[in-house]
Amino acid sequence: MFAPSPASADPAAPPGRRTRPAPTPPHPRRVRRPGRLGLLAATLVLAGVAAGCTGDGSADPHEPGRTGGPAAAATGGVSGPLCAALPAGTDPGNPDSLVDEPADQAMRWIPVLTTFEAAVRAAGLSAQLRDPRGVTVLAPTDDAFARKFSASNLDELMIHDRDTLRTLLRAHLVAGSHSLADLLAAGTVTTMDGTRLTVTPTESMARLGDTATTICADYRVAGGRIHLIDAVLGTLPTTAGLDDDPAH
Amino acid sequence: MRVRRPTVIVLSALLAATLGTVTAPTAAAGQPGSATTAAEPNEVTNLTVTQADGYATLAWTPVEGATDYQIERTPVDANDVPTGPSVVVGVWRPNRQINNESPTFADAGFNPGDRFQWRVRARFGTVEQPYSAPVTGTTRQPWGDPAVPGQNLRTRWETTRAVQYTSDVDEYAYTAEIDRLSDRVRVVEIGRTVLGRPINMFVFGYPTPPATPEAVAATSPVAINCNVHGNEPGDREACLIMARQLAFSTDPRIIDILSHTTVLIVPTVNGDGRAANTRGNSTGQDLNRDYSLIRQPETAAFVRMVRDYRPIASYDGHEYGNSRAGDLPMLPPRHQNVAQSVFDQSQDMIEGYMYARAAEDGWWPCPYGCEGGGNVGLGEETILRNTLGLKNVVNSLLELRSSGGQTRPDESNTANNRRRKTYSALWTFHHLLDYHRARYDEIRRARAEAITFQASNSGRIVFRGSRPIPAHPAPHPADAVPPLDAPRPEMILDDAPCAYRLTPEQYLGARTDGPGGVGASLAERIAAHGWKVVKAADGYYVPLAQPERGLIPLLLDAQGAEEWVGGERVYPTLTGRHNGPLTVSGFTCIADGTINGPVTVRPGATLIAYRTTVNGPVTATGAAGVVLGDSTVRGPLQVANGAGPLSLVGNTVSGPVNLVGNTGTDAPLVAGNTVHGPLHCTGNRVTPTAIEVPNAVTGPRAGQCAAL
Ligand SMILES: [Zn+2]
Repeated sequence: MFAPSPASADPAAPPGRRTRPAPTPPHPRRVRRPGRLGLLAATLVLAGVAAGCTGDGSADPHEPGRTGGPAAAATGGVSGPLCAALPAGTDPGNPDSLVDEPADQAMRWIPVLTTFEAAVRAAGLSAQLRDPRGVTVLAPTDDAFARKFSASNLDELMIHDRDTLRTLLRAHLVAGSHSLADLLAAGTVTTMDGTRLTVTPTESMARLGDTATTICADYRVAGGRIHLIDAVLGTLPTTAGLDDDPAH
Repeated sequence: MRVRRPTVIVLSALLAATLGTVTAPTAAAGQPGSATTAAEPNEVTNLTVTQADGYATLAWTPVEGATDYQIERTPVDANDVPTGPSVVVGVWRPNRQINNESPTFADAGFNPGDRFQWRVRARFGTVEQPYSAPVTGTTRQPWGDPAVPGQNLRTRWETTRAVQYTSDVDEYAYTAEIDRLSDRVRVVEIGRTVLGRPINMFVFGYPTPPATPEAVAATSPVAINCNVHGNEPGDREACLIMARQLAFSTDPRIIDILSHTTVLIVPTVNGDGRAANTRGNSTGQDLNRDYSLIRQPETAAFVRMVRDYRPIASYDGHEYGNSRAGDLPMLPPRHQNVAQSVFDQSQDMIEGYMYARAAEDGWWPCPYGCEGGGNVGLGEETILRNTLGLKNVVNSLLELRSSGGQTRPDESNTANNRRRKTYSALWTFHHLLDYHRARYDEIRRARAEAITFQASNSGRIVFRGSRPIPAHPAPHPADAVPPLDAPRPEMILDDAPCAYRLTPEQYLGARTDGPGGVGASLAERIAAHGWKVVKAADGYYVPLAQPERGLIPLLLDAQGAEEWVGGERVYPTLTGRHNGPLTVSGFTCIADGTINGPVTVRPGATLIAYRTTVNGPVTATGAAGVVLGDSTVRGPLQVANGAGPLSLVGNTVSGPVNLVGNTGTDAPLVAGNTVHGPLHCTGNRVTPTAIEVPNAVTGPRAGQCAAL
């Protein structure tokens, strides 16, 4: 969601609301800086320097960096071939630092989930990821999205076809918090779009149906789990490669 | 201090010893044989590592017969003991750079401030040759002294070690702090996005930036557009870091640049798309297909900024998926209506300057569309690269190759990948500033030549189609050149009109092509581009004999590929010889004419003339509009009490020029003229401007034209 800005319009403005271009002022206009923002900026600055590169540089009360420490240097409980390429140890976004984060916030710290994370916001599903009964997210990576959808198709889903997007995302959410071991033990999983997928073991990971495999599993988050997967689930047709790399 | 690599490796002990000798030459005395022992056959020698912001340049002496080289990096602690595995992070190939006799490689992706050991080895085909002696070094910390206010600012992207991008709110806070703490910067809101996000622009100058857009324009500024596609955020992070450097650096180079010009940085023209991680804006419009049409508020804001601040050189930042391409695909404005001088200067910036400097620092620029890049990099005037070229701005596209590809095998780690992209953009943008500084006069001349050429309304019009990008002489930084993209016959108009006439409905009418089915009128959009329009009794005339002649027909001719309207082509009313006085009433357009006698423009009449000679005075009183391009007046030229536009570009006048009491609402344009006599302007509603294209005036310049 559009957070407050120094001079933002109504944050609740519906997408696509018509805003006429503001007339160009005859002289440069300085950016307005309400006091609140100035404070935020100062906080950000000071925190950023104090913490150096450890990443604890935000006024965000849900700052995952704070939970990292020497004890966080372990593997964080995640497993899978992609984990080695993701924040670990005491890096910002390491798995241990996310355990108190709700899933929608935790995803912001997993750098291969930028598409999925933005899609959750676009589809208005952030609240669903904070379901007090727990939720498991089967989260396709950015590469998985790139293999599934053309760039224009993805923009279309994110901007104009949010009902379809919501259905697509529900195919990646499971009620309750389930570890990789839980999923494997159950042998099947039913996603929130009503699809029942078989879960079969493969090289210490889980194969979901005949489409996707977990590649970094068992991010523990507040009330749930996030398992990164290597393919997009659901029933939408593959469009990647049709206009695969639009010109710039 | 050359140290031969021992053949038996006991890693930690060896490294401690070896690194000690490499980093501290005196220690080599303890190993007498080392410094003089010849390298093994085919071993890379003379490896050096030079630290820069976010990258390290490796350079070495080439090995005869090598087909490529591998660059290995090992993290080490303060005692040079390895703390992690050695990884091949780079592959140097002959098509990386234009001088293969001095190979370099910009290693990047590491966390700035970490310490490493590097080695390089040649390969003959797939056969690996011995590694060089290692070199260690501590990479540069993120720029800025943590103890110095302002310098100690950091972006979200930096503090999270590239795990998170800097959000809109983070950007506004960071921007406001830079603005607050540095006298060198003014942050200007140039417009708003569809959803109401501010579109900010940094305006940098030393000791302070000029106070008004007109004063900035007088410095012939350089501009960077950092992020038009919302899902391509790498360049934007570079811009934010660069903003901090420009605001707070004490480096004489930075001070020198900012003392001589103004630097304009637009970090996020597509704030809605960035926040949503979409390519388009919130309506789904690809903004880089809208810079000519300006249907969207974001592109309209940018185009108005170009009109008011008049940058002369620019880069437009993107990311690009072709894994075979270079690190930094670049491309000049290719549209065939772009003046030759602007195309040539843009190519000089890319191939003459960036290719050469990249070969020194180890980056790999190449033509966008190289290496089987597909049907990209073409002549759409809707793309900023071409729009700016058609606005006579020397400029280039910049792509950051999205993936590490075959030459940067360690980028499966997302943070490594993001850092390489952003720091390569930072390198490019700094070199844009250096190019602008070094070739300032040359760029200004190319722009002036382009503007006077356009105002002459010469040559055919190409609605869509590109100039070819020939292969760079070998060794060249690409195995293939971008697509040819020659104009198809139906995209060519050999006989250019004098003007387009728009009906009041076309000019003023509501449009439906903007967000939510509402679009700005053509009157507003034409004003945003800054074109002169003559309001006459029978409609609105847009003359071609003005600086953006290459762009006007693309938007106003029904034959255009993506036009606004099909305006009426108005052809010259007079060509060739005319003997005796000429009195203009109504609309007169003279092309390639010779008028032997005085020309008098009556009140309410319009005179447009290009490539024309008048042997006699030209006198306009109360005219609806006077537009002269590439013409000669042998006699006095006086334009007084006109209500409409006045444009004099690239003319020669033998006699005094007087511009008096004109009441038009846009600045009279007096650019690139030669006046044998005085130039006098007084009582005009808006002060005339030369848009940084100087006039040559033998007599005194007075009144409002004293500075032209
Ligand atoms: Zn792009």
